[in-house]
Amino acid sequence: MCTAVALALSELPDELVLAHDLGVRIHTRGGEKEVRFYWRAAPALLPVWWNGGLKVVKWGNWDRAERKLPPTGWTWQTTVEAGRWSAMEPEPVEILATYGLSNGVWFRVQQGMRGLLVRTRGGEPVVYMICEPSTRYFRVMTRAEWMPVLIGEVI
Amino acid sequence: MTAFVAHLDADCFYVSAERVRHPDLIDKAVGVLGNNGACVIAKSYEMKARGVKTGTPIWDAKALCPEGVYVKRDFYWYEVLSRKMLGIVGTFSPKVEYYSIDEFFFRAERLHPRQNLHQTATAIRDHILEAAGLPVTIGVARTRTLAKLFSDTGKPFGAVAVLERDHERELLATLPVTEISGIAGRRAARLAPYGIRSCLDLADADGRLVNRLLTKTGYEIWLELNGTPVTPIRPERPPHKALGRGGSLMGNVDQPVVLWAWAVRHVERLIEELNYHNVRTTALAVEVGWKTGGSTCGVVSIPTPTDRFDDLLDAARVALRRAFVPYATATHLHVLATELRRGKGFQLSLFDTPDPKKDAAAQAKAAVNARHGRFKVRSGVTLYLPAVYADPANNFDICDVRGKICF
Ligand SMILES: [Mg+2]
Repeated sequence: MCTAVALALSELPDELVLAHDLGVRIHTRGGEKEVRFYWRAAPALLPVWWNGGLKVVKWGNWDRAERKLPPTGWTWQTTVEAGRWSAMEPEPVEILATYGLSNGVWFRVQQGMRGLLVRTRGGEPVVYMICEPSTRYFRVMTRAEWMPVLIGEVI
Repeated sequence: MTAFVAHLDADCFYVSAERVRHPDLIDKAVGVLGNNGACVIAKSYEMKARGVKTGTPIWDAKALCPEGVYVKRDFYWYEVLSRKMLGIVGTFSPKVEYYSIDEFFFRAERLHPRQNLHQTATAIRDHILEAAGLPVTIGVARTRTLAKLFSDTGKPFGAVAVLERDHERELLATLPVTEISGIAGRRAARLAPYGIRSCLDLADADGRLVNRLLTKTGYEIWLELNGTPVTPIRPERPPHKALGRGGSLMGNVDQPVVLWAWAVRHVERLIEELNYHNVRTTALAVEVGWKTGGSTCGVVSIPTPTDRFDDLLDAARVALRRAFVPYATATHLHVLATELRRGKGFQLSLFDTPDPKKDAAAQAKAAVNARHGRFKVRSGVTLYLPAVYADPANNFDICDVRGKICF
């Protein structure tokens, strides 16, 4: 399972960094600053392209705050296609990422991954990462059975 | 006037190629993964500093270098950049030899009457970085052997011109004789009793002694170390980086003899391919895909470049043993020649032990098959695969697209 994404700090506007207190999530890799969004972080967040802008929204229902939402951060492509989310009026979004992390292996992401955005009863946006069975290559590389649905590329 | 030879070697080429299209990878620890995603086949200097080597399995690499970013290989893209680089070098030199995907030899000529060859090497290096985005190291010297040795001392992003004998001697003294490709292990051990440890020791040794200890090829290296060019620059089509044959096992295979039969079949197919391209290999890899998912890979290096069945069979046996998982069920198998050298007369690697008998046997086998049909003469081991040879469809290989690595 993809349990974190990293996005170059330069891609995130200062207002977003301040508003979501992302300063504590800044890491340096090879001299470049990036913000890491870990599933384990509290709160779990993801950067998404939504409504024509970059937003930082809650990742899944990790704290089980919402009883009607599954208490995870992922959903399967087949579940989405079967219409099992349709009652929630989901919106497709792009999760922005420079790198993704699966089983401790950071892999490069060209553009981003597909996400599904739903709202809590209070109207707060929540995003789920959409996954599909790993390609053979990705499975050998990360030993993960599932991989995020990547936009415009195949690993 | 002495003609000088330049050796150009791209610095961590596959990683540099990825950085050309993905600048975010610059300055980061980057590993390019091989055909299955299991092993690092190229690493950046940052990743190398963490102890990751070529061939390190991804699982070990991520432990050594958890911040590293891992990328899927894209040989097509590397080939594109390699050709671009070749084109650029061609604008600076009338004679360029494509030695491998990231190494060229070319005749070094001053770009300007008032410029020396060190400035020329620097200018070409800087131009390649600017025009193709690739960092390279260039060594210029009186012979190919010297140029290659000296460019290695300049890595990364170096430009070295060694034009005077004193300068050559000074550098040769610092290089162990094992830095010369082909001189390692037994050959180095043969030299040691005569006090030959550095490249300078070898250059200063008696040529007749070198001839006796290392055969004619060693003698030619000796000549080149002393500034006499032996091998000219050959501007011609390059060998591929790797050639492979293999694929699905047409079902589940859990008997070792059947797996071995498949390996032998693919070795025979690989030899056809090596002969077609007039290349030999100094490394053989066997990759086995398992039913439970995942794959394992065994690699064996071969001291002398070869395309001969007996040599490759020995290598394949060891490689398969390394890749073998007891009691597991295999579904795919590939045999790969991963270190290609030109077929004949190629410098640095031709420590051939001539074996006219085996060469003749190989030629006879090829001749019979050319006349009577593919695989008419083949290894008896492959009798474990009656169905494969009975089916005419298997005489064609779906992935026999020449010039592509087969996966
Ligand atoms: Mg190189």
